[in-house]
Amino acid sequence: MTTTRSVEATIRFPYKRSLGPVMGAFMTALTEQRFLGIRSGERVLCPPREWDPDTAADLSADDLVEVGPAGTVESWTWVSSPSAAHPLDHPFAFALIRLDGADTALLHAVDVASPDALSTGMRVAPRWKAERVGHITDVEAFVPGEVPQGGGGAGAEEPVTMMDYDAAITYTTPVTRNEMRAEAANAEGRFLGLECPACARVYLGGRGFCPIDALELGPEHEVELSQRGTITNYTIIEPVQYPGQTETEPFARVHVLLDGSDVILGYQPVVEFPVGDVRIGARVAAVWNDTKVASGGGIELDGWIPTGEPDDTDPNLVNRIC
Amino acid sequence: MSHQPCAIVGIGQTHHKSRRWDVSLGGLVREAARRALDDAEMDWDDIDAVVIGKAPDLFEGVMKPELYLTDALGATGKPMFRVHTAGSVGGTTGIVASHLVETGRHTRVLAVAYQKQSEGNAQFALGSGKGASLGAGGAFAPFMRSYIQRSGAPLDVGPMVAVKDRLNALKNPYAHLKLENISLETVKASPMMWDPVRYLESCPSSDGACAVVFTDEAGGKAAAAAGRQPAWVLASAVRSEPASFPGRDPVRPQGAIDCAAEIYATVGVSNPREQIDCAELYVPFSWYEPMWLEAHGIADEGAGWRMVESGATALDGDFPVNMSGGVLSSNPIGASGLLRFAEAALQVRGMAGEHQVDGAKVAMAQAYGASAQYFAMWIVANSLDPFGS
Repeated sequence: MTTTRSVEATIRFPYKRSLGPVMGAFMTALTEQRFLGIRSGERVLCPPREWDPDTAADLSADDLVEVGPAGTVESWTWVSSPSAAHPLDHPFAFALIRLDGADTALLHAVDVASPDALSTGMRVAPRWKAERVGHITDVEAFVPGEVPQGGGGAGAEEPVTMMDYDAAITYTTPVTRNEMRAEAANAEGRFLGLECPACARVYLGGRGFCPIDALELGPEHEVELSQRGTITNYTIIEPVQYPGQTETEPFARVHVLLDGSDVILGYQPVVEFPVGDVRIGARVAAVWNDTKVASGGGIELDGWIPTGEPDDTDPNLVNRIC
Repeated sequence: MSHQPCAIVGIGQTHHKSRRWDVSLGGLVREAARRALDDAEMDWDDIDAVVIGKAPDLFEGVMKPELYLTDALGATGKPMFRVHTAGSVGGTTGIVASHLVETGRHTRVLAVAYQKQSEGNAQFALGSGKGASLGAGGAFAPFMRSYIQRSGAPLDVGPMVAVKDRLNALKNPYAHLKLENISLETVKASPMMWDPVRYLESCPSSDGACAVVFTDEAGGKAAAAAGRQPAWVLASAVRSEPASFPGRDPVRPQGAIDCAAEIYATVGVSNPREQIDCAELYVPFSWYEPMWLEAHGIADEGAGWRMVESGATALDGDFPVNMSGGVLSSNPIGASGLLRFAEAALQVRGMAGEHQVDGAKVAMAQAYGASAQYFAMWIVANSLDPFGS
């Protein structure tokens, strides 16, 4: 599948975490500038776990013990080009730090000027944030030495039981040759289809393959499609609000059977078509939008607008869904 | 039979709720797994391998949960992997675990499936993180409208399913929704969410987990000898098909028809309504009960709604469906498929409590996912030869 362009997209969401009895206590202690480990047999695990990783035995919050605050670097790696997701905005080290009194290591950042300042076995202590919420980033980073830095203020008034986790991922999607050709056709006011040479099913132009015959489709399979069609089925969505939701009012999505073909475009938006008027049999035409071209995007289908032609009254239209 | 027999000897689940903020994600899956081990009279050391299933990562934002949950499931140093088949994943997870026993690769396998919907937002996740998410109801509404038109079903059939499943849930201590005053009137008075489906004809968002312990023939027979009735996995099948192509019928997907045909053929079922005692079918929206009854050959095409209307699918009917209350009453998405499979096993073990179907010996379970395009099914029975062949 030849590609010559990519489109970047980011999705993000503010997840929540319920911490449970052990991690909740650990996070609460962080607000108090303390580290907790948990006793499991002869060992003290830090960060504490709810279950022994070797035996799967239940561990009890009654066996939490204070460790640190200083510790020893067991291993480290240098981050020379931090991203926005990293804890520090300048080069730093990630290190496995065994806090004093613990038998296992905690992963955290060490803030030093260069990798020359790091060594396995070096002693480090936490640099606390002034405002702590019960999150691992309450420790800004560890710094060389025995003495904790920063901090101040009071711990959490109530035990910490929940944690916010703002996740984001940026990814690039390749724009395929077929998609670019479909866009180019759209720009000329044409709608491109691809016909499978084996089964003769026709798909909307951007698709690069026939899912039935597992055949790649290319320019030699292109056919012209109508920009007009008939609504065969629809759904009216009562929008639920969530971060990133763009809709506040009920909105319609329609299935459109393109004239002169078996091509059905599912879940299509409508334009200038009030939700209460959306119906099976209504005649519609495509509306295009080229506002994203300037920023590297393609020409997009805005949706389908009523043409005003008489409705198609075939009672079986409703079954034309895929 | 081309493989070794597989028995279910342990089943556990959480109390499903809107928010299980009293436990961590690990604590949630552990709760179900511990109950399954207790039921099997086993401990963590007895398990050879763990199979885990959940809906896609956007739901909780935990990447590679099979690694994150290793400690909670006692899986350190053991084979552990994750199954991905969208909403059908819980069913597929159970099937994959059963395969590990049937092939002889492992003797005792733990399957765990879960969702903690309260940590994220299902509409966000189903919309691939973009605005204007259709949600599952919006995606399935056209399919249900098509079914209603072509079957000529009375419009009360959907609400009847919604009432029936919620009445069953009142008998299931683990069910999420406990709607004491549910009635046709309250269902029909609830807001239209995704025409033709109303709010009370839709599944809830739940936190919950389910776990099942599988073992081999010797293990199953040992459990039986000790007075602990096993459920034998007599057949399982999975199918999938593309979401859209000209000629696809999402109301009667070929994958659904073929998947059911395979499990019936494997067990020697020619008349599922007569030979199978009860079924747990993935019905997240009311109309899916008659749709699946038809697509799985339990009712003739166009006649599924008549089974609902006649009461045949009620707990005291001749073919009870969703005795547990179903997905309409509890929907920890990733777990929902395994909950169907587990309920079928509980029925043939005679351990379903107040929602037990009297004398159930053979039960089927189904889960489906994505755009009604992934299917997982099995048939379980209280013996290896329930029809006395």
